[in-house]
Amino acid sequence: MRSDYAVVGKRIPKLDAPDKVTGRTVYADDLKMSGLLTGAIKRSPHPHARILSVDVSAAEALPGVYAVIHAGNVTQRPFGFGHDNIPLKDRVARCVGDEVAAVAAVDAATAQRALDLIRVDYELLPAVDDPFEALQPGAPRIHDELDIEGNVSMEWNFQTGDLAEAEQRSAVIVSGSYSSPQAAPAPIETHVVIAGFDADGDLEVISPVHMVFMYRKELADCLGLDWRRITVRQPPVGGSFGGKIDIDAHDFIAVMLARAARRPVKLAMSREEEFTGTRTRQPIHFRLRTGAAADGTLLFRHAEVVSDNGAYNAWGSHALLVAMNTVTSMYRVGTSRLAAKVVYTNKNYGGSVRGFGNPQATFAVEQQMEELADVLGMDPMDLRLKNANRPGDVTPQGLEITSCGLSECLETVRRKSGWDQRRGRMRRQHRGLGAAAYVHVGGGARIYGSDGCGAMIKIDDSGRVALISGSSELGQGSETALAMIVAETLGVPLEAVSVSHDDTDVKPWDVGVHASRTTFVAGNAARMAAAKARDELLEGAAEVLDRPARSLTIRDGVISVPGEPTATLRYEKAVRRRLLREGSSIIMTSAFYDPPTQRQDENYVGNISASYGFGAHVAEIEVDPDTGMVRVLGLWAAHDVGRAINPMSCEGQIEGGAVMGVGLALSEELPVEDGRFPAPNLHDYGMPTTMDAPPIDVTLIETADELGPFGAKGIGEGGIILPPAAIANAVADAVGVRPRSYPIRPWKLRRWIETGERSHVDKHPHPVPDENAR
Amino acid sequence: MNGYCRPRSVSEAVAILAANSGAMVIAGGTDLVIDRRLGRADPQAPLVDVTGIDGLRDVHWDGDELHLGATATVREIESDPAVIVRASALAEAARVLGSVQIRNMATLGGNLCTASPAAEMAPPLMVHDAVVAIQGPDGERRWAVADFATGPRTTILASGEILTNVRLRTPAHSGSCYLRQTVRWAMDLAGVGVAAWVLTDGTGREAAVQEARVALGAVAPTAVLVPGLEALLAGAPPTTERLGAVSAAASAACKPISDTRGTAEHRRHVAGVLAARALSIAHARAAGLWSGGLAPVNGRESAVASSGARA
Ligand SMILES: Cc1cc2nc3c(=O)[nH]c(=O)nc-3n(C[C@H](O)[C@H](O)[C@H](O)COP(=O)(O)OP(=O)(O)OC[C@H]3O[C@@H](n4cnc5c(N)ncnc54)[C@H](O)[C@@H]3O)c2cc1C
Repeated sequence: MRSDYAVVGKRIPKLDAPDKVTGRTVYADDLKMSGLLTGAIKRSPHPHARILSVDVSAAEALPGVYAVIHAGNVTQRPFGFGHDNIPLKDRVARCVGDEVAAVAAVDAATAQRALDLIRVDYELLPAVDDPFEALQPGAPRIHDELDIEGNVSMEWNFQTGDLAEAEQRSAVIVSGSYSSPQAAPAPIETHVVIAGFDADGDLEVISPVHMVFMYRKELADCLGLDWRRITVRQPPVGGSFGGKIDIDAHDFIAVMLARAARRPVKLAMSREEEFTGTRTRQPIHFRLRTGAAADGTLLFRHAEVVSDNGAYNAWGSHALLVAMNTVTSMYRVGTSRLAAKVVYTNKNYGGSVRGFGNPQATFAVEQQMEELADVLGMDPMDLRLKNANRPGDVTPQGLEITSCGLSECLETVRRKSGWDQRRGRMRRQHRGLGAAAYVHVGGGARIYGSDGCGAMIKIDDSGRVALISGSSELGQGSETALAMIVAETLGVPLEAVSVSHDDTDVKPWDVGVHASRTTFVAGNAARMAAAKARDELLEGAAEVLDRPARSLTIRDGVISVPGEPTATLRYEKAVRRRLLREGSSIIMTSAFYDPPTQRQDENYVGNISASYGFGAHVAEIEVDPDTGMVRVLGLWAAHDVGRAINPMSCEGQIEGGAVMGVGLALSEELPVEDGRFPAPNLHDYGMPTTMDAPPIDVTLIETADELGPFGAKGIGEGGIILPPAAIANAVADAVGVRPRSYPIRPWKLRRWIETGERSHVDKHPHPVPDENAR
Repeated sequence: MNGYCRPRSVSEAVAILAANSGAMVIAGGTDLVIDRRLGRADPQAPLVDVTGIDGLRDVHWDGDELHLGATATVREIESDPAVIVRASALAEAARVLGSVQIRNMATLGGNLCTASPAAEMAPPLMVHDAVVAIQGPDGERRWAVADFATGPRTTILASGEILTNVRLRTPAHSGSCYLRQTVRWAMDLAGVGVAAWVLTDGTGREAAVQEARVALGAVAPTAVLVPGLEALLAGAPPTTERLGAVSAAASAACKPISDTRGTAEHRRHVAGVLAARALSIAHARAAGLWSGGLAPVNGRESAVASSGARA
């Protein structure tokens, strides 16, 4: 692999970091503009209720109130997958937090007073917050207006191979149920949207969303607007973790308020609203069975899945797309079957949160790998390595594995954690080691007609290189990575490159930031546009140096002729040479990159991504069996990133993801009582602090993907996928019981220790002594 | 008085409170500001800020008597070298309350006056048999800290009264400890908090217990003292068997609820586990056997340092 790069592979602190840590960054909520009104939303306090009447007369009469809207006085259409949602609920509220009315007023206090004056009459309906209860015949129907069976919103079924035959051939079969909680992305910046129309009726929306072009289309579709007349501007995003992919009801409401008030309106979510009124990570319940031959060869995996969707279909309804990849394609499984139901419940609904179904699926799949290994009397690492995906594999779902460092990742964490010397030998101190590995999309993910992204480059007379990218920066470091790719490709210093990506009027089209795709897809687009700009630059220089363009090289901004030390030219001069003359020209290039990916067919077969990321973790934990408290002592993480454009950023993504994963594993949960979150605040919600973060040892494995820019693959989500599974496996190693659900809170673990929750072995080669079946 | 004032003396504060019914005392504001926002306290109530009162923040020793001013911050208590050694439970409770930023604002008085069932400072003060001083329109009164809170968020304070200080004695051969169980390892309220205090007849492993107290937080409407410990412990060192009896007594003293920080059953169990641990650490301190500084927050030795991962 090439390593003589000038910029790529260097450790570069994020370019946006200094402004962020010194408070200079201007976020959406910091924006001021004349006439800006404050919006606020009246939400349902009931998990399920018929809306009988909405009386807004007193609110409208309050001085300082510019608009009061509800389903009865606006024009709106359904939105969401299956059009099961509507911004202002018209007949029924289906979860606590459902939007029923909204106001725009001069200030927040007036807006709040106006909300208090709105009278909503409800008729309470029976509610259901458990998906298994929602599946029962007599359960309350949550969407009786939709043509669906009971409360099943969607089904995802995949099948390949002969399951009965694979079961028959298996020497060992383990089975078990594995559950995950409702959790929140909880970024520092809550959702904010500012909407306003100009005198011509053109709409401008300012919001830290990161699927801006789809967002614009959905706004237009739902509100009957001409989408050619909508501009979406995206100020710096104060964290998202996927939560700002979805368009929420409040986005439409801001526009409707602006229309009604004839003034720009800002809607900023409070922390409580961020928990109750914006999207969460959905609980997914797996019933999983894995079978293997006596030598450890995996023969089948069979999953029955219930996804607790909540009240409506946001992106979370599609998390099964990723969960399914893990069930069918993590390791060489051969025969696999997945039958999943996405079930409506009267709760806040699932969105697209970092990892998107993969932490939940991996929790099941990777615990079962270690359970299987224990029954077989094999080391779990050996079992994994034996079945590891390899370059050239095509999985049952049609995923084409190209670059693949899975085995290297496994071997690295095995060696660094002292796995062979220490696993299974620390029970006396109630310590344990547990491992897990993942496959995740790493080269885009075709979930829409196009999986593409555009890039434009212009170089002005100063030599400043502006990249205008379709993508967005959400803190993940893509801005820095893209600038590095451009600097490397063009051969100019990094300081000369700027990146902008904040305005749909200016930037070229992009699907949006999701699926760990930005460095790969936007990076390729930027690299292609930069290569064109480089060609133009060298052509300009060829005139000056009187040498053919193809004989020239450029590095650190200096164009030179190899072997002729005196024949050099600074690149800015080449730009000016072409500009400052009659018949002048300037360098402006563009490119659009759509990866060679496939949309999966109706049988869920298709190569959804142009490359796949892999990684492995080992967690070391210590349990206090008498209190149930778990301390994570260390985490070893090896990730196949293809090529680390910016190693510092890769490590940051992995460490940040891993700490988020530790939170999922041990403390994060939004329990629901009577249909509501009793504690929608950051004091009660168990987001980990630095005191919960273990030392993390990161190894970047570089496999130089043939399609990635400079070989890079996605790494934005990898870090979060493994800690729940690895920590659960470590708990099993430490105290011999199987965590069946996370977060592994003290009282749950202590109970498991007392009741002796073990593996379920359905079939085994020889009578299994209890010790093996732990 | 308008919305806010900052008197310089206790008598001035008491006079202002007497003249403005509905006015509320504010110290660090880490409870009150949130309560006003949530509507648990009247957001319009005028505020009498007691942090400007001379002397009210003092932490000093008078022989073996520790005097803690009501506006001493939790951070000051946690950092006081003498408190760490002689009233360890207090320092151990202080260092787990909130975060450093919160502890720089939070006061001892505010913690007691909020009277949360999980209030960190109550159990250690109870086992140290502390006495609070209260100043009101009718002068000063003193009260055992154990009787200060009367229920969740209620105390014996009458309207217009101010808590001015807390005093406790730390005789020779006494030691204390505070442990807790949480979900997170910091910035979390206790699922269970346990303080223990022991007075021994001398030093060394065989030092017999003369007096002992255990107090439990977050397992009942207020922090509670475990009754009947003298009978279980007095006259001998705390053997494993005796500690078992302490555990049972502690579990029996709980009247817990189930919430996001633990089930009732778990709290009852863990109160017993931590009571035994805290008591044996307190005994080690009283008997001069304790060399380390503050104990691990759950009292269990955790060898974090020996893990192989990079720090
Ligand atoms: C993020 C966060 C984390 C926290 N973590 C913990 C924790 O782990 N453990 C814990 O126990 N607490 C915790 N708290 C609660 C709080 O910080 C403490 O209870 C703190 O000690 C309160 O002190 P204060 O000075 O801020 O009180 P204030 O908010 O100023 O006052 C609290 C109440 O006491 C009254 N009051 C204050 N001083 C006096 C006085 N001298 N006389 C009469 N009345 C008075 C006020 O009128 C008010 O009713 C946390 C709070 C936050 C915001």
